[in-house]
Amino acid sequence: MLIPHPLLGARDAQEFTYLGDASLMDRPDPNGPEAEAAFCDYVFLRDNPAGVHRELWFHEQGDRSWLVVTRDTVTHEILGAELARDVKRGAQT
Amino acid sequence: MTDLTPVTALGASTARRESFGPLTITEVPDVGLASLALRQGQAVPTPFGLTLPAPGRAVTGKTASAFWTGPDQWMIEGPGQGEADFAARVRDEAPGCIVTEQTDGFVVVEITSDAGAAPLEALMEMLVNVDPGTFGPGQATRTAMHHLTVFLLRRAEDRLSVLVMRSFARAAWHALAETAGRQAR
Amino acid sequence: MTRLTGGLIDREKPLDFTFDGRSYSGYAGDTLAAALMANGVDLIGRSFKYHRPRGVLSAGSEEPNALVTLRDGARAEPNTRATVAELYAGLTARSQNHVGSLERDLLAVNDLLSPLFAAGFYYKTFMWPRTFWEKLYEPAIRRAAGLGALSMEPDPDAYDKGFLHCDLLVIGAGAAGLMAALTAGRAGAKVILADEDMRPGGRLLAESDLLNDAPAHEWVRAVRAELASFPNVRFMPRTTVFGVYDHGIYGAVERVADHLPTPGDGVRQTFWRITAKRAVLAAGAIERHIPFADNDRPGILLAGAMRAYANRWATLPGRAGAPVAVFTNGDDGHRTARDLVAKGVPVLGVVDTREDAQAFGDYEVFRGATVTGTRGRRGLRAIQITRGATATWHDVGALGVAGGWNPNVHLASHHRGRPVWKADLLAFVPGADGPKGLFPAGAVAGRGGTASALADGVRAATTALADIGMTAPKVALPEASDVPHAQAAFWHVPGKRRAWVDFQNDVTVKDIALAHTENMRSVEHLKRWTTLGMATDQGKTSNIAALAVMAEQTGQTIPGTGTTIFRPPYTGVSLSVLGGGDTGKHFRPTRLTPTHDWAAAQGATFVEVGPWMRAQMFPRAGEGHWRETVDREVTAVRSAVGICDVTTLGKIDVQGADAAEFLNRVYANMMATLKVGRVRYGLMLREDGHLYDDGTCARLGEDHFVVTTTTANAGAVYRNMEFARQCLWPDLDVQLISTTDAWAQIAVAGPKSRALLERIVDDTDLSNEAFPFMACAALTICGGLRARLFRISFSGELAYELAVPARYGHALMERLAERGADLGVTPYGTEALGVLRIEKGHATGAEITGQTTASMLGLGRMVSAKKDALGAVMSRREGLAAEAWRLVGLKPVGGDGPILAGSHLFTEGAVRTLDTDQGWVTSACYSPNLGRHIALGYLEHGDTRMGERIVAANPLEGQEMAVEVVSPDFVDPEGVRLRD
Repeated sequence: MLIPHPLLGARDAQEFTYLGDASLMDRPDPNGPEAEAAFCDYVFLRDNPAGVHRELWFHEQGDRSWLVVTRDTVTHEILGAELARDVKRGAQT
Repeated sequence: MTDLTPVTALGASTARRESFGPLTITEVPDVGLASLALRQGQAVPTPFGLTLPAPGRAVTGKTASAFWTGPDQWMIEGPGQGEADFAARVRDEAPGCIVTEQTDGFVVVEITSDAGAAPLEALMEMLVNVDPGTFGPGQATRTAMHHLTVFLLRRAEDRLSVLVMRSFARAAWHALAETAGRQAR
Repeated sequence: MTRLTGGLIDREKPLDFTFDGRSYSGYAGDTLAAALMANGVDLIGRSFKYHRPRGVLSAGSEEPNALVTLRDGARAEPNTRATVAELYAGLTARSQNHVGSLERDLLAVNDLLSPLFAAGFYYKTFMWPRTFWEKLYEPAIRRAAGLGALSMEPDPDAYDKGFLHCDLLVIGAGAAGLMAALTAGRAGAKVILADEDMRPGGRLLAESDLLNDAPAHEWVRAVRAELASFPNVRFMPRTTVFGVYDHGIYGAVERVADHLPTPGDGVRQTFWRITAKRAVLAAGAIERHIPFADNDRPGILLAGAMRAYANRWATLPGRAGAPVAVFTNGDDGHRTARDLVAKGVPVLGVVDTREDAQAFGDYEVFRGATVTGTRGRRGLRAIQITRGATATWHDVGALGVAGGWNPNVHLASHHRGRPVWKADLLAFVPGADGPKGLFPAGAVAGRGGTASALADGVRAATTALADIGMTAPKVALPEASDVPHAQAAFWHVPGKRRAWVDFQNDVTVKDIALAHTENMRSVEHLKRWTTLGMATDQGKTSNIAALAVMAEQTGQTIPGTGTTIFRPPYTGVSLSVLGGGDTGKHFRPTRLTPTHDWAAAQGATFVEVGPWMRAQMFPRAGEGHWRETVDREVTAVRSAVGICDVTTLGKIDVQGADAAEFLNRVYANMMATLKVGRVRYGLMLREDGHLYDDGTCARLGEDHFVVTTTTANAGAVYRNMEFARQCLWPDLDVQLISTTDAWAQIAVAGPKSRALLERIVDDTDLSNEAFPFMACAALTICGGLRARLFRISFSGELAYELAVPARYGHALMERLAERGADLGVTPYGTEALGVLRIEKGHATGAEITGQTTASMLGLGRMVSAKKDALGAVMSRREGLAAEAWRLVGLKPVGGDGPILAGSHLFTEGAVRTLDTDQGWVTSACYSPNLGRHIALGYLEHGDTRMGERIVAANPLEGQEMAVEVVSPDFVDPEGVRLRD
């Protein structure tokens, strides 16, 4: 596979380490109500759809960026890739 | 001046150099290295008068060079600064930036061709999944080479630098020499 | 040796070779199959199951029958297709799969027993008793049925891997592929043209049809020359593109030296990963046969292959001078008869299933007829031709069978592309859902006529280039025509005798019918029940015939019956080349410490720790047992001073205004309060609350920390910290830089460590007051060398870790050894390190297993309740908090002896069940300081059971030992020494 790195263009997927569901970026509020239950969901429950999925990939043998890659897990078509940092900042504002 | 005697990454007192047909591979121990990273919201500095390059690029100045290593991060190279406290110099040149000494973090290996770009590009084909056709002078990238993570810099049509983590120096030399040697045969 | 006229062989270059020990001669340009044929050798191997005599079926990589073991000794390569093995001087080949000689194979008895060996025979017969399968049935079956044998020696040859990039990859250099490459080459595109054959041309080399009124190979030569003149075109002969991967990545193997006796000092094969913006699939078509009674004798081959042997290699199978016949269901067989007549070969005639068949030349046509039987034990002698109720026998030496052509849709069907049935072609062609960016052209696309294929190559390349914004010039086509190719839907000749469908795996029409009877209705079940298409050729010549037979059984259409799914590789790929040449110690690169050479010079033995090689111990002359060495090293640390390279620990530079806050969030314990110039032990949790890693955190400045990780986890911890920085808290002002390799870090441990260090540091007060336990500083040593000193202790002794730029590590070690000689300085390795930490109850990987909690280590209170951190919330959940195991020390009672790590702990007299299991031993060693064996382990409520006598049981080793529960702090439990 080729991962379309937002800064570096198409890069060999072998340069990356795969983590999975990008919902891992949505860490629950540790002080919120039912924090433990929220963390249980966060840690143990992941989506694994056959179809379009937002995933975290780490450019380990590259620029060390974490990317959010939107990928169809059936066709492996990649619909987009963003710096996770930007995604997180965007979600915060 | 310390009375301890340094050794090169390949464990010798002098740098190693080997030629294979048109290609020459040289260990370059005398380069100071320091990573430079920005603080949040900090303006990009101009250490040693360098315009720090965009992603995937490198720039060469009179006293130092730089290549992009990641968002808001560059590696600064100081030729002839291998024994100096190069990080301190970079810190002076880039006030307020986050600077980390990397001189011995990597071994710099330079590969030159005395027959133009072709032998160098043929060597690249056997080493890294980077298209030599689009990886021209001024390009810099980090990628995988024989299970190693390396920085790759195209200094010129006929000149390529490979930066490998120092502890992997011998494994990297083996990969480079074996491949270049095979090509020369 | 008898040859026909013409051919593309070099008669000036004869090549000697041997087959089964007999000497023969062929010409440069021959394949082994062609050379054997020219020497009158038609019997080449025995079939897999019935040991039937077999010869050559095809002239390409689809060959099911003519498999040989090529070369000798360590280079012997079994199951090599003689039809693609290039002849070279001195080639040696042996036939396979027979007991006794190839001609008189003793296992041919299997053929007589064939009624027993029908499809599913093994499944049904060898089911009972079950235990017999592994010991008796399977080994016996494997001996009897099989192919060539491996040499069982290491492969002596070198292999390589490489990466190529192009605008257009053209797969196949036949008529379509050459035109595609020419079109793209002229357009200035970066082109790779890969072909599995030794020379370009594909079927053009096998046919007699003219291009521009001249033999086609002359046109091929001109195109090849033009392609060679383009710097943007790379032609790769002997290169098989075997698989299509995501996003335009193709796997290919170049057989660099398979056509040479040995690769010399070069590589034998190269594995290429080709990244292509677009690709043209011009892989041609594979001819199919027509199953009829006894259709597997040597001398019966595909009619197109027969043409190839006659036209390209100037040879034919069969007895010299014996007439040749062709059996066909369409026009294509007539091309063979026409070409043979032109070569002066006696042709019996063409047996054509069609009543209205038209001859292509001057030979007899048996219209509306079929071949219904053959004779000839080791080679074809006669065929039976049946028309209506009349059957006649005719002497022949060879028979060509033309059942039509299957477009080679293999690569287009990767990524689960589904081929579609074209009723007018009676064949599957690539569907629209094939791999993106792959454009089928020529015969693959069902346009196999010469003129059609040439034009289609231009069309495909032009379309593919337009897709990436490139414009192809108009390319003139050579003058050519399409030969008529009418064909009848005739799939097999019905009859009572066995008619082979899959030659290599001995699957007959009857087997397929039987599978259907036994309710194997899906084509996938059929394959597995009969093993059809599962041999080394993957059914390239048999799959469609099998589908047709099955369709007949089910009363369905062929496309309704289904297709099989094609997966890479197209043809077999050796594991050697997939490995890409990185073998032995280069299989995984090794990291060396800065003091590696120094340690080696001291006679150290080394041990792999992850990718690192670490000094394991430093044996001295006269030390007969490793324990003597380790005991000495441990004792030296506890009584004098030891030095050990600890560079392998991961080192991460953490800087920024929010560095302290960041570390507070990734470490479970409080880090923000750490003072500048101090070090703190840190625990990192996984988000699920379990211990992840431990290390030290040194604050070198207000916004500058250096943290260490364990050697094994260095990469993962760095990745996880970057995750936290980029994905969780991107607004924190913090940067992470790995500096593991930049610094050589040496542990200096033992009561005399301060005395030793005082001799090398420049003007730094190392007194306990000025530089206490857990202090750190940047300083200089040995006359101005910048260094970092950390007063931390893994051994429990007064100890330091000293870091210098890695290039000085070797010299520093020498200096420490020299300056500490009178103090008894002793280098120690990982074994001594292990003993020292067990004596001190320090956890490492054996204790921090991923299922460990901080409480289990007795460090539960380190998980700060005052702040959030990774894993903090989950560490407090009920299940984890209630975990009762605690780290304890164990020592044998009633005598001494080694406690085995991995033993489980029980109360004395307890029945040994999972319910009564109370814990386990994690680490064990001999403690020279205590003079006895000791161990660490987890024991339920262990912290409250000091002094209790329990049992460490290891049923695997048959060991039981009474042990006493003690503090894991075996040495200096008050921690006086390290603070001294």
